[in-house]
Amino acid sequence: MQVPTSDENRLGGPTGLDSQLHHLSQVIEHASHLLPGQGPITVFVHHNTLHALEDLPFHEAVKKGSQVYGCQPYLAEDRYREALNRGRIRFSELQEVLARDLGDRATERIPCFGNRHDLRLALLQYPLRTGPTEELLWYVANVNGMRRIRQEASSATRARLIAETRRWVMRDLRTGKGNGNGHGAAASSNCNGTGSACVPDGLKELLDRFGESTIENWTDDNWEEFTLQALWRVCCEGVRNLPPFTPPPMESVRHRDLLFEATGADADVPVNDLLIRFCAAFLDQGFAHWQLPERDKGFYRSFCSLYRRRYGPPDPWMRGLDHELGRLEDERIGPLESIRESLEILGVREPEWESFLANTLLALRGWAGMVRQVEVRGDRVAHPIPAGSLVEFLAIRLLLDRFSLAYVCRTELGIGTPVKDFWQLARGRVDPSWPPSVEQRAFLVFQLAQVVGLPPDVLNRLKPHEWGAIVAEIEAFSSLERRRIFHLAYEQHFRTQTLDAIVLHAPTHWGRPVAPQFQVCCCIDEREESFRRHLEELAPSVETFGAAGFYGIAMYYRGAADAHYVPLCPVVIRPQHWVTEEVGDAQGEVNERRARTRRALGTATHQFHVGSRSFALGALLTGGVGVLASVPLVARILFPRLTARLRKVFGRIVETPLDTHLHLERQETTTGPDNGHVGYSIDEMTDTGERLLRDMGLTSGFARLLILLGHGSESLNNPHNSAYNCGACGGSAGGPNARAMAQILNDPRVRERLAKRGLPIPDETVIVGGCHNTCDDSVTFFDKDRVPESHRQEFESARKFIAQTCDRNAHERCRRFMSAPLTLSFPSAHEHVEERSEDLAQTRPELGHATNAITIVGRREWSRGLFLDRRAFLTSYDPTQDDAESSILTRILGAVFPVCAGINLEYYFSHVDNVGYGAGTKLPHNLASLLGVMDGASSDLRTGLPWQMVEIHEPVRSLFLIETTPDAMLRIIERNESIGRLCRNGWILLAVLHPESRVVYVYDDGNFRLYEPQASELPRAASSVDWYRGWRDHLEFAVIGS
Amino acid sequence: MLGFHEILTFLGVIVVASPLLLTVVLGVSSLLEWKLTEETIAKFVYVAIVSGLFAAIFVLGGMLISGERHIAIDLGHWVTIPHHYHFSVKLIYDRLSVPFAILSFVLSGTIGAFASKYMHRERGYNRFFVLYAIFVLGMVVAALAGTIETLFSGWELVGLSSALLVAFFQDRRAPARNGLWVWVIYRVSDAALLLAAVVMHHIRGEGDFDQLLGTGPWPEGISSVTANQALLMGLLLTAAAAGKSALVPFSGWLPRAMEGPTPSSAVFYGALSVHLGAFLLLRVSPLLDKSYMLSYVVLSLGLTTAIFAYVAGSVQTDIKSALSFASLSQVGIIVAEIGFGFRYVALVHLLGHACLRTLQFVRAPTLLRDYRTLENAIGRRLPSAGAPWGLLYAQHVQSWLYRLGLERGYLDTILKSFCVVPFVRVFRWCDALERRWTDFLTRDASRESDKIKPHFGTIEELT
Repeated sequence: MQVPTSDENRLGGPTGLDSQLHHLSQVIEHASHLLPGQGPITVFVHHNTLHALEDLPFHEAVKKGSQVYGCQPYLAEDRYREALNRGRIRFSELQEVLARDLGDRATERIPCFGNRHDLRLALLQYPLRTGPTEELLWYVANVNGMRRIRQEASSATRARLIAETRRWVMRDLRTGKGNGNGHGAAASSNCNGTGSACVPDGLKELLDRFGESTIENWTDDNWEEFTLQALWRVCCEGVRNLPPFTPPPMESVRHRDLLFEATGADADVPVNDLLIRFCAAFLDQGFAHWQLPERDKGFYRSFCSLYRRRYGPPDPWMRGLDHELGRLEDERIGPLESIRESLEILGVREPEWESFLANTLLALRGWAGMVRQVEVRGDRVAHPIPAGSLVEFLAIRLLLDRFSLAYVCRTELGIGTPVKDFWQLARGRVDPSWPPSVEQRAFLVFQLAQVVGLPPDVLNRLKPHEWGAIVAEIEAFSSLERRRIFHLAYEQHFRTQTLDAIVLHAPTHWGRPVAPQFQVCCCIDEREESFRRHLEELAPSVETFGAAGFYGIAMYYRGAADAHYVPLCPVVIRPQHWVTEEVGDAQGEVNERRARTRRALGTATHQFHVGSRSFALGALLTGGVGVLASVPLVARILFPRLTARLRKVFGRIVETPLDTHLHLERQETTTGPDNGHVGYSIDEMTDTGERLLRDMGLTSGFARLLILLGHGSESLNNPHNSAYNCGACGGSAGGPNARAMAQILNDPRVRERLAKRGLPIPDETVIVGGCHNTCDDSVTFFDKDRVPESHRQEFESARKFIAQTCDRNAHERCRRFMSAPLTLSFPSAHEHVEERSEDLAQTRPELGHATNAITIVGRREWSRGLFLDRRAFLTSYDPTQDDAESSILTRILGAVFPVCAGINLEYYFSHVDNVGYGAGTKLPHNLASLLGVMDGASSDLRTGLPWQMVEIHEPVRSLFLIETTPDAMLRIIERNESIGRLCRNGWILLAVLHPESRVVYVYDDGNFRLYEPQASELPRAASSVDWYRGWRDHLEFAVIGS
Repeated sequence: MLGFHEILTFLGVIVVASPLLLTVVLGVSSLLEWKLTEETIAKFVYVAIVSGLFAAIFVLGGMLISGERHIAIDLGHWVTIPHHYHFSVKLIYDRLSVPFAILSFVLSGTIGAFASKYMHRERGYNRFFVLYAIFVLGMVVAALAGTIETLFSGWELVGLSSALLVAFFQDRRAPARNGLWVWVIYRVSDAALLLAAVVMHHIRGEGDFDQLLGTGPWPEGISSVTANQALLMGLLLTAAAAGKSALVPFSGWLPRAMEGPTPSSAVFYGALSVHLGAFLLLRVSPLLDKSYMLSYVVLSLGLTTAIFAYVAGSVQTDIKSALSFASLSQVGIIVAEIGFGFRYVALVHLLGHACLRTLQFVRAPTLLRDYRTLENAIGRRLPSAGAPWGLLYAQHVQSWLYRLGLERGYLDTILKSFCVVPFVRVFRWCDALERRWTDFLTRDASRESDKIKPHFGTIEELT
């Protein structure tokens, strides 16, 4: 080997050593990028699960992801075939996608199967069973596969297959004129290799077994059986002497993988068990009553000092660990040096470091990822950890691996040699790849021949090289490739449907509503699509807008009853401003008293909870008052809604008075969390206000009432609650942002300055902030007392409309809940969703972002009146008000792309592999360290989304539809790296709607091409209810209204 | 008066018959592959639990009115050898069994309602409720058992369904592994109970509790066995109880049992299953009066468990493990109370603890929200309690204790190294002998299974 081993390097002196350590830390840093990027569950932020691979094109990245993480890249083939059967994928689309994918190679001839396109289409259409020989034996016995032709074959094909075989047997085989002179198994046939009268041994034996003499009396069933068995023998003979299938070169593996393959003993199990416990204790954010001793010394030191003590765990695999830890501590060997030492002992050479260390980290990826996240973003947790913790984690991991591996070697293989030698030894001996057996390969051809109707005599005539061509062709179109084609067709169907709807609808709707009764602005969230649609249907003169739900206000916010400041802004921004909610002076005393009561109650509750888990106090509490717990237990589970109401009534006694206001204006020049430094200056307010209005394109045509709505979601027993909240507010409810923005835009001083900047807000326009709870579909308004008398009536009427909208929105949502009857009325639907949000037993309080698939940026006028089935993010943007450089659009897309693509891709991956990329089912989830969830008693931290959240999602990449010119969009793609990467690499699908001609251009391989609609007319319905009523599934897009 | 008694008997039979019927209906329909909808299953569960619960409450009412404190319902002698042996099925309603049966119904009923929503659209919905029905039947039978054989059958049903519920998510490795662990411990405790039954028959010729424990209504019965007999039987029964109630050294299974869906961990291991051992000790408490030695053993077992569970519970960082150790700590105290002879205190403690813990378990996933609410109310981060009893020992003692807690007292390792491994080794040795013998006879490798490599399934779809 050219590479210098570490021994040689050690001799090279301290500089060589240092540079090696430096290199090692770089390698670790690089490897750690593959870890999941999900932070603490309390501030859940959606992001692309494969963010680390975003530099690659989508299809390559998912393939790489499947190798690195061992997760599925697409849905299972059966799911796609089922979609094909119910028309979700059209056959013509599948053909089209396949033809486009193959290009020139489509027409190459394949023996017996026509051309390549035909063969691949057949492979797509019919499921082929494969597996180890034992499994196939079971399968054949189970489905009667050697007696009955596959169900998928049409009756005509079946009849032809049998008839051809019969003819062949009667005319050629029996009379000895079989012309199987070509096939690869000539040696096993009874002919001399040149003559034409040769019958393969296998077939002859078969004939004898079936009773050749009575052949005239064979029944149809006999013939079918014979056909299949003849076919099987021919296939087996055909593939027998083919060159073996070469599997792709294996990625480097860990020692544990080899050992596992060879012995079935998993050396990772004890190591993971221990590390899970220790990581949870180390990262704990204040759950355990008793904290890890010496936690502040870091992962490495605290582990060493805890586990080096004597009289420790008697586990045999850990024998000697205490001495080793003692040595590390006494000789002051740091984590990096320890890692290098371990690598040396394990015999891992320098070029293999990166992949080996990455795989080692990924062995417990959830916890390792959380160590990294808490280390990097210490500002998002209560108890941060020191820098370098991940390296320390890795050092301990490798140390434990060494002990566990040595133990497994000793007990399972009886090798007492050091692990290093094992590595060399095992690599030679253990071959983890499983080349397909003859049966496995033959079975593929066998199944395919049945469905396309290839009789045995045709196959029997094939030459060896033809067999080779067929098998190679089948094996080249692997399951991964098949699913990629399926997936493309799956997405194409959806894209056609969406773009058709837009192309047909957009040109017919021009102009904003004149003199709107009131205006409402919601978050861009796709859950607000139905809310806006229903509102527009109820009050046709209303105008709605969509803007990122933090309304441009990036702040640390503390409510009147809150203990801490919470950042309310996208996670990429670190806020520069602090805002508090304060109780009015008149209520000050009441508030003080209530706060005291709350504190007393809170302390008592806390003591009770701690006490009930303790020793003597626990006995007193459980024995004394435990039985009383049956009352809330029964009440909350059997009557959730009633109990919630009662609790609210009692809660009202101690809650903060409703008369509060935001402390929004700052006196001092610098910002900070303390008195005087809280809030914005008037100029800063003007800037944020102006920016929001210009982004939305709302610079004129103000109604007398403008309502800004943030959104949030409240539900019980839901560790993932934060993921249902506003993503633009960092996983919290966005009410305070809407409230602050309303207050800013109402400020006469701000208005004055805005007017000077050419953005006059009429004096009679009043702005009100509110918050939409997307779980129980309620809207609360803030600062209602500040609505002037002159506007009170309008406000009341707007509130009524919004209340009705909530009922209808709840109704539309209920169609997706399988436990909600389809017959619900509007009010009872609303009650149903209210109950969901208060029910301890409810695992689907709402369905979150499930089904999201479209991101629209542009004026509402052309998407208004279109039923988009709660699948589209809607951002308002008016291209006519933008400058030549598209600076407003660039600004908007800078936020929309990462947020919407992040949500969409997280749902995609959590759905296609819920166990690998997602968090699995929610039912056994167990909150650990207040940071994340484990499965059951102890497991790796589960990142991604639980199945209950993504169950009804349709995994397609988001279709971004932006109202701008192709040139402008190309410029943005070119200038903005993060947007460009997503577009170029196909992590999203992109199309633009031309603002003037209203035609659509689709982005394809770096260029836009004109889109031609496939449909000529859209379905119509009088109202949304008429369109969706009675349906549970995804719906087509339709035009609503006359 | 006869009519009144007959009505009580009738109601008493309903208490057991309703969960039995539920088990039969759900079980048979599963065997015949009749797919019942979620609503139908939920309705069956509702009807069965409510009728069982009300029957039990009426029995209680009837007993209060009539002043009877001990009603025995004999369901016949199944095997009788005059003067030597008889085997009968008998239910007892007294001050111990009625509250425990009502508790079982209330908690299982609530959790049944909870689970019917919680498990919505889960693949194992039907399987969950079949196991649930078996569990409820087992609990009720064990609670009302009047003979040790009856108790044993209830005990077995509880054990079987519990182990299968732990392994509910059978496609993952950890649940299967932990379910097996629970099952093995349960089998050990079953064996102890079975031995106790044999001893009881040997001493008395029958398995009826009232013969053994005296005819007075619980807890006033005075046993007529000798102190040594009481000690022998008591020790066996204590071993059985220790396995079922996760007392030291069997404690390791309780946190492992948290693998199943939240409702099953809540009610089964957090509340009902784990108290069954304590219930058994209460049932045979007259034996404890006979032997101080026995009382002392029970007392120290309870206290050790309580202290161990408290230390282990203090360092747990996940909600379910913390709650399960908290449960265990209280179960330890309940057992200690029984050892002390405070029968009623123990019973009340048991009932209260089961209710409170169930509530805490079903609310476990809401922890983050609760913490936020509390923090907001108090106005700062929640105070941390620190080491138990504010341990002021030297640093190294603290660390040592902390590690002991974190490693759950090494109990599982000790059991594994000193019981499981030797046990397995003996049988492997026997197996090796047999193989040599058969190889010799066939003059060839006699086992085909040796040739098959352990196959873990290649991800064919990814190649």
